[in-house]
Amino acid sequence: MGDVKRALITNIQGYSIHDGPGIRTVVFFKGCSLGCAWCANPETISPQPQIGFIGNLCARCGKCLEACPENAVSMDEGKHRVDDSSCTACGKCVDACLYGALVRYGREMTVEEVFAAVRRDRMFYEPDGGVTASGGEPLLRAPFVRALFELCRADGIGTCVETSGCAAPEQLLEVLPVTGHVLFDLKLMDPGKHRQYTRQSNEMILQNARLAAAAGADILFRVPLIPTVNDDEGNIRQTAEFVKSVLKQPAVQLMPYHRLGDSKYRALNAPNRLAALEVMAPERLEAVRRAFIAEGVDCTISR
Amino acid sequence: MAQTKIDEELLRRIDALELDERILAWRKAMRAAPWKLFADRERYTVASWRATEGEDIQIRRAKLVANILDNIDIAILDFDALAGRSTPGVIGACTAIDVCGDYIPDLWKDTSEVNLTLNASAALDEESLEILRESARVFGGKTAPEMADKAWAEVLGTWPKDATDAKVKDPTLDAGIFGQVTSVPMWGKLLSKGLRSYIGEAQGHIDAFIQNRETDIDRLYFWKSAVIVCEAIIKHARRYAALAGELAAAETDPARRTQLLEIAETCMRVPEHPARSFHEALQSMAIVSACKVLEHPMHNNPHWGRGDQYLYPYFIRDITGGRVSLEKASSLLAELIGRWGTQIFVTNETQRESHQINFAINNVLLGGLGQDGEDASNELSYLFLHMVGLLQLSSPTVGVRWNRKTPDWLMRKAIKTNLATKGGIPLFQNDENMIRHYTDDGIPYEEAVEWCGLGCVYPCLPSRAEHYGAEGIAGFNLAAVLHLALHNGRGVTGKLIGLETGDPADFESFDALYDAFKQQHRYVLYRAFWLAAIARNVQHKYMRLPLISTIGLQASMDLGQDVLIPHPDYAMFGISDRAIIDVADALIAVKKLVFDDGKLTMAALMAALNANFDGPRGEEIRRMCLKQPKFGNDIDEVDLLAKDISEFSAGVIKSYDNAPFRPYMIAREGLAWHYYGGLGVGALPNGRKALEPLDDGSISPMRGADTNGPTAVIRSVLKAGFEDSYAHVLNQKFTSSILKSPESLDKLVTYTNAFFKNGGTHIQYNIADKEELLEAKRKPEEHRDLIVRIGGFSAYFVQLSPEIQDDVINRSEHLL
Repeated sequence: MGDVKRALITNIQGYSIHDGPGIRTVVFFKGCSLGCAWCANPETISPQPQIGFIGNLCARCGKCLEACPENAVSMDEGKHRVDDSSCTACGKCVDACLYGALVRYGREMTVEEVFAAVRRDRMFYEPDGGVTASGGEPLLRAPFVRALFELCRADGIGTCVETSGCAAPEQLLEVLPVTGHVLFDLKLMDPGKHRQYTRQSNEMILQNARLAAAAGADILFRVPLIPTVNDDEGNIRQTAEFVKSVLKQPAVQLMPYHRLGDSKYRALNAPNRLAALEVMAPERLEAVRRAFIAEGVDCTISR
Repeated sequence: MAQTKIDEELLRRIDALELDERILAWRKAMRAAPWKLFADRERYTVASWRATEGEDIQIRRAKLVANILDNIDIAILDFDALAGRSTPGVIGACTAIDVCGDYIPDLWKDTSEVNLTLNASAALDEESLEILRESARVFGGKTAPEMADKAWAEVLGTWPKDATDAKVKDPTLDAGIFGQVTSVPMWGKLLSKGLRSYIGEAQGHIDAFIQNRETDIDRLYFWKSAVIVCEAIIKHARRYAALAGELAAAETDPARRTQLLEIAETCMRVPEHPARSFHEALQSMAIVSACKVLEHPMHNNPHWGRGDQYLYPYFIRDITGGRVSLEKASSLLAELIGRWGTQIFVTNETQRESHQINFAINNVLLGGLGQDGEDASNELSYLFLHMVGLLQLSSPTVGVRWNRKTPDWLMRKAIKTNLATKGGIPLFQNDENMIRHYTDDGIPYEEAVEWCGLGCVYPCLPSRAEHYGAEGIAGFNLAAVLHLALHNGRGVTGKLIGLETGDPADFESFDALYDAFKQQHRYVLYRAFWLAAIARNVQHKYMRLPLISTIGLQASMDLGQDVLIPHPDYAMFGISDRAIIDVADALIAVKKLVFDDGKLTMAALMAALNANFDGPRGEEIRRMCLKQPKFGNDIDEVDLLAKDISEFSAGVIKSYDNAPFRPYMIAREGLAWHYYGGLGVGALPNGRKALEPLDDGSISPMRGADTNGPTAVIRSVLKAGFEDSYAHVLNQKFTSSILKSPESLDKLVTYTNAFFKNGGTHIQYNIADKEELLEAKRKPEEHRDLIVRIGGFSAYFVQLSPEIQDDVINRSEHLL
């Protein structure tokens, strides 16, 4: 797991209002155990730092070529290209770019640095806000998250972890005692489909969900609702059954699919497997919400 | 004292209110109506002025006002339930030639078209044009602003005009902003006492004057002028009563006839006598405000002040007693909000540029602490918010006075109103900071707690005469001052405005540049203050405002002294030294690029600035400038420089000896001034091109430069403090996605509370609309701060691919 005291962070985002109660600062950890086809933040999947290129801002001035110590950048017919094998994501091209067309995803930070960044927005956390560890998969950096959360709690800052659940149970158990809330994704109930769309089976995820519930954690299950992938009757019913089996007051929150992540796939020059997928009509979304309620599971939509 | 219990059922009923047909008919007519200029008023100014030649100026002005009120065309339009318009037009203006002289250059053009205000002109028939020209012949060259201009030329030659042309300071004198003109009348007194009692008061002073064989004859004339104008207002109201009676007699619709008879009856009662009901209160105010505008039709804005306070007893008594339905009360309130919100005036040239607005600024300030130290928000505050949310007008300026006791229900309604109006309305101001500023400056708490808004955020006290802007200085352009430092004292016009502090290419350190800025600042400001003091000594010789004095200031009545003669105890002076953030960002860029990092020479930077970033390295250098630290990202170096500039500027202002009057108070308002201010500033090292607008507000970050999210802006603002200023303007922009659900509304309330609890002074939320997003797509460098957040997703708008940007643009349509 590397250095306990350091982690790659892609973003620390103040005034986050969709990631747990109150006003929160979300810390995005880089590196994920899954690779969901619909991921809106694909820059958080790889555990390595990466350079993103935003074509529409590029002025083709060539400053990045001059700045690159590895000669990894080239301009082919006016098109900016990076040789991934030689790019070390050192960020020199990002610093040199005057147009904001290059972004460095991933900055190595210490627990203390992240804590200091979180603490800066302390005034906004009353009464129930705080920090949310997200990603990527924050549980992959469980010792870091634990250390961060301990500092936060000692300082009266609320804690929340946003997880895919795909981590070793020990990692979950390391974080559970210090987190106030768990936002737990339930993407697909069918193990085969789960593997097809996220590259991993869901067994460990479901096991961890039971584990967290048994430990008495404050869990909010969240379903990224992807048209044609997990919005079928069967998956809704199975999800509802599962939630009912682990929670006394069963509830889920739907996170409707959107296409906004597409820009980031382009920036990373990575394929977007669902590029052609249309977003869900509001009526359909509402129907899914009602279906959950009909199954006896309280259901809200994250907006 | 326990807070008055709020009737929550009433709040729910207010939430369900819609605009009624009458108000909708007005709004439709207002939107379709051609804007009209009425020459009528000047006919009576000229006639009166000629008839009173040789009389005392106070009496002359009072008689002039009376002649207007006795004779001017009046109208009750089909959808009016309240009488009292300054012109018969749905949207109309009259001129202020008797006050400001020959201030409308359009009058002498062949087109017979007069520019009223931004983007609006009115055609004039031959007769009207001739009336206005005649007035200009009679008054031109002899009015207070023109005489003060002459006095300025006596002492400083062309400098006052040169400084104006270089946009170093504003407004010009012919903008017509005299003391108290832009301030809030004593509405509470009017409603509780009625004008007949004012006449009694003045008469009592007159009797005492004679009895005590007093000698200061100006005072006697003042009280006589007060009697004349009060009688004239009463008579004016009766003209409306008579007109309503005539219209009723000819009316076939029984409901409308009843309404007209009600107008007739009400106008016989008020404003002469105390108001007995909410309806009478609003009617009284409608008439008096129209008369106030007719005394001086420029900048004489129909301010509400603390409308939710002085009107509350009438409102709640009528509502709870069943004397008026909530529907009717809300309709009458909407009518007056709408009428005052669409009052226009004929501006002079500089005002047209500096204000960028079409309507006379008027302000209603809701909530806030009361005399007992408890929060005074009430159901009427809520109704005001609801009605402005429904009306969807750009004016009035609506503010909420935040304090630790401000109830959540008011804050939630305020944020909802922000959404309903697509942002900006209402703005929020820190009540506690404001009251503390006043009390620190020696104003008693009971006066300070009654503070109102004067323009957008500039505060005023109903118990004092406000002279902000009245003597040719309100805005002081720090970015133009920096321009002087960068150009050896020359302004954008090329004329020497400041000191010759040397060729910037020869500056060998950052401090040399900063010192040059400071020298220019002190030099220009002291000159501006000197000129203001001269204007102050000139204006009242040629102009008096008996009506505004009488209804505006108790001290005027008590002392027998017109507001235009400033009294050391009651006159308040203020200044808005602006563009601190532009200067901080520009200076830090020079410091980093030239003196710290050595990436550019001062000569190369100056060459790029002077070429407005054109030329071979121009754009590259501009990008380098843009990339330097910017205020609003919680970067100490630049935030603390902004603090230092703020403190320096305040220190110079406070060092000026304004005796025998109070020192200038500082209140950095903003509004649309940044367009005007920008016209006086060449390219700046913050990456801004020549003549382009400066940063908006007075402490908002540079457009698009706050890329660390909204909380980083707050941290920068609180770090810099800006504690020398009574007011600031901080605009924050959100995309609608951040305000979509009830929970997100609550979170914005929490956010606002946190900002104010930690010392914030003002904040205003704007919602990025479709057009803005489209522009961001076209000009990404100016919109780098726009964050799109949907669910857990977050990205800078400009970093999205064009197709996805279109997605977000389409989403913005579905705001609510």
